Amino acid sequence: MDRRAFIIAGIAAALVIAVAAPFLASGNPDGLESAFFGIYGAKTLTGDELDEDAAALAEEQVVEKTGNAFAYESPMPDYTLGDLGKPGEVAAVVLGTLVMFGLVYGVARIAARPGN
Amino acid sequence: MHIPDAFIPIGQSVIYWIIALAFIILSLRWARKSMGEERVPLVAVLAAGVFAIQAMNVPIPWGTSGHMVGAALAAIVLGSPYAGVFVLTLVLLVQGVVFGDGGITTMGANIVNMGVVGGFVGYYGYAALQGIVRSPYAAAFAAGWASLFVSAILCAGELAVAGTFPLGFGLVSMGLYHAVIGVIEGGITAVALYLISSARPDILEHPQVVSG
Repeated sequence: MDRRAFIIAGIAAALVIAVAAPFLASGNPDGLESAFFGIYGAKTLTGDELDEDAAALAEEQVVEKTGNAFAYESPMPDYTLGDLGKPGEVAAVVLGTLVMFGLVYGVARIAARPGN
Repeated sequence: MHIPDAFIPIGQSVIYWIIALAFIILSLRWARKSMGEERVPLVAVLAAGVFAIQAMNVPIPWGTSGHMVGAALAAIVLGSPYAGVFVLTLVLLVQGVVFGDGGITTMGANIVNMGVVGGFVGYYGYAALQGIVRSPYAAAFAAGWASLFVSAILCAGELAVAGTFPLGFGLVSMGLYHAVIGVIEGGITAVALYLISSARPDILEHPQVVSG
């Protein structure tokens, strides 16, 4: 496979994953969140059930504990786009993938060892 | 494993940011010295792929999910632990700033855990295991698994210092979940390495840099 085809295939693969991710991704808490909820009594270590009220309370408790109340409003929180539902999630992840390619291309271009 | 802002006091977050910045500077020095211009599209594609696959949370038992981090893959493919730092720093920056995934004050800790630890354990784990297991894909699987597991253990330690997690139960729960999530990391690292090396065997040869 030549260089150009390899890069295009790579971008295509990333975009296929980006489109599929919102449909296939699990909504369960990730490993860190699950550990956090377990420690703060919103679920058990090996249990499936999450107590939503206890989970919300846990998030307040942790701010009190660390004193870090820094809050930041991101434009597309949790990979969502306004109230657009699934299509919005697909758009968010696809947009993020393209932004990622462009940003890293730009930064790497500046940072790279110049050609001879 | 993206630590949100509230999990670490600001004073401690600053320390992780300083450590992260030191490694970011080292990764930029690596890029200037060893990342040739011809590799720029490959680095960008790897970052885009890592970002997309991080959005794919795979269910694991116990009402939990997890996703690949990708620092080990970047480090193995590009031939340096600093490649993992370089790629993950930019991925975590976009995730935190645009998508609110991972905190802003805690981004330094996330860069240390996922970029630095992921990159170094992934790269050196792969290098060490290749001599023992003789299959690059088995080595990549084990290195990928270890990179995620060690990141999670360090994360549990940081959160114990922060007072957010008790040390013992924090280590047990982070270790348990990430031992399983590590299988996802190792599996995708091995498969991606296979696909990349099948399509472009030259990429993985890492010729010595010739000066001048």
